[in-house]
Amino acid sequence: MAAAASVRDIRLDLFRGLALWFIFLDHIPTNIVSWLTVRNYGFSDATEIFVYISGYTAVIAYSRMMARDGWTRAAARIYRRVWQLYVAHILLFVAFSAQIAFVSIARDTPALIEEMELLGLGQNPYRAILEAALLKFRPVNLDVLPLYIVLLAAFPFVLPVVVRWPLAVIAASLVLYAVTCRYNWSLPAYPDEKVWYFNPMAWQVVFHVGAACAVLGPRLAWLDRFRLPLTVLAVAFLVFSAFIALSWHYNPLERLIPAWVSRQIYPIDKTNIDILRFVHFLAIAWLVRLLVPIDAPFLKWPVWQPLRRCGEASLLIFCIGTFLALSGQVIVGQHEDSILSQIVVSIAGIAIMSSAAYVAAWFKAGETAGAPRAARAAK
Amino acid sequence: MRILFLWLGVVAAFLVPASASPQSMTACRAKPELLKIGSTLPVARKAMAERKHLRIIALGSSTTVGYGVSSPAYAYPMQLRIGLEKALPGIEIEVINRGIGGQDVEEMAARMRVEMMSHPPSLVIWQTGTNAAMRHMPLDLFEQRLRDGIKLGQSLGADFVLMSLQYAPAVVALSDEEVYERIMAKVATDVGAGLFRRYDIMRGWYDDGMPYAQFVQLDGLHLNDFGQKCIGKLLTQSILGALTGP
Repeated sequence: MAAAASVRDIRLDLFRGLALWFIFLDHIPTNIVSWLTVRNYGFSDATEIFVYISGYTAVIAYSRMMARDGWTRAAARIYRRVWQLYVAHILLFVAFSAQIAFVSIARDTPALIEEMELLGLGQNPYRAILEAALLKFRPVNLDVLPLYIVLLAAFPFVLPVVVRWPLAVIAASLVLYAVTCRYNWSLPAYPDEKVWYFNPMAWQVVFHVGAACAVLGPRLAWLDRFRLPLTVLAVAFLVFSAFIALSWHYNPLERLIPAWVSRQIYPIDKTNIDILRFVHFLAIAWLVRLLVPIDAPFLKWPVWQPLRRCGEASLLIFCIGTFLALSGQVIVGQHEDSILSQIVVSIAGIAIMSSAAYVAAWFKAGETAGAPRAARAAK
Repeated sequence: MRILFLWLGVVAAFLVPASASPQSMTACRAKPELLKIGSTLPVARKAMAERKHLRIIALGSSTTVGYGVSSPAYAYPMQLRIGLEKALPGIEIEVINRGIGGQDVEEMAARMRVEMMSHPPSLVIWQTGTNAAMRHMPLDLFEQRLRDGIKLGQSLGADFVLMSLQYAPAVVALSDEEVYERIMAKVATDVGAGLFRRYDIMRGWYDDGMPYAQFVQLDGLHLNDFGQKCIGKLLTQSILGALTGP
């Protein structure tokens, strides 16, 4: 664990940045550029990447703090982070609603009501605001942060266990996942009939497996004894899932799939992260581990710089990306879903996200450079 | 590395035609005979004529809730309201969404009375059958609960339109989903309810070469934005046909 923590793992920032770009692209409903994202080639999508890396980095960020300053301080720091996530979520909610209001006012007034209905704010706005504060009411695409908030809020209790017994945490997490799926446990949402789109009791498995892998670190090399069979299995599973995923777009492919296979795989639930999605993600993670070792020279190529910057400022970039995806949806709609508008909106959105990430890095560099000076001045 | 990019390029080029399928409603079609629901909706007509008011309850499961669509307004109940308001100026249209994900006839028939007493409707759209088929509910029990539910609802003073299963990979993979759909058709005829043939309409899309990705979410079960909007639009046409026809 110490080894994993002492070298900054560039891969985490890079792939988290990539997941954030994918989430942005996939959140624009009609977007040809989303063909570049993972979800069209298999069962899992960017959400798994984001949640896994969040669990992984949570261990790296807080385990050393716990070792140095004790559990109480580490827990306090985690809850400060939870608070930041909550504030970010509420801010995003307000900005998101304001954008819809702005768009409908800019068009004409009668559309306003319909557009606010889009949000579910129309019938009972006061109640909706209350439920939003309780994380129970979330407009479209604002589901990921509440999941992250719940997972991180439970993390102070997971942290001391996972650093000692990572395999026990994986086992307990799998049990909770299995029980949740078996008995259909869910968290209530608003309006009353709804449930959390990402069920934290199921999705925690991705987060905690990520956390346990961060603790195991070099010990994962134990798996290399089975490198060949695992790789063969992973590749075979990815090919199978790519075939299924492409069959959703090509009826001739779809007709090749025997009914008994379909009966086994469908539905591929997202709310409770279907086991196929999870296995698909693990297969990707295994291959990435082999193909992209931590010291791979190409990780330092400057072309990846924007991705890494986005991954470093993940909360900010997630919020901006979600906000921009809505703008993108509106703009693409205004251009009657033209392919050119989809491409332009995608490139512009990623450019804005990356610029914001650079500005954030610039601010942060200023703070850390300024800190010793400020400390000296204080003396 | 270069070879990888080349490959990505080839794959992307290969996929362009599929993703170019528009979200616009031009692809939203159904054979006219599939849009006949087989009822004249007398209670709803009367409410419109006498009170200039039409209250509809959409009773159902995840489709009715609008699971996974990118806006609650795209779910078919809201589309129905918007469509009817446009087509019937001067009539106050109200559509109450009473969908609860995962439910089927058993649970929905059990809450039918409460739902209908709190806001008495003139028309109930009952979207059902999918979860029953997926849970392999015994056929005779399914028929019984469905029949009892409709009779109870009719006795509370509303017309009924049943909405059959969706044509989606998870449903089509079942061996007996069409039996459930046939039971719904039979019960509808027996008790004088309407039937909106969602299964047949969506199968028509698939047989016309429309890929699942255009109308079903990636979980292989739920309708996506296009699917919901299109079903909402066709349901509106069907209801209007029944309300204004001979």
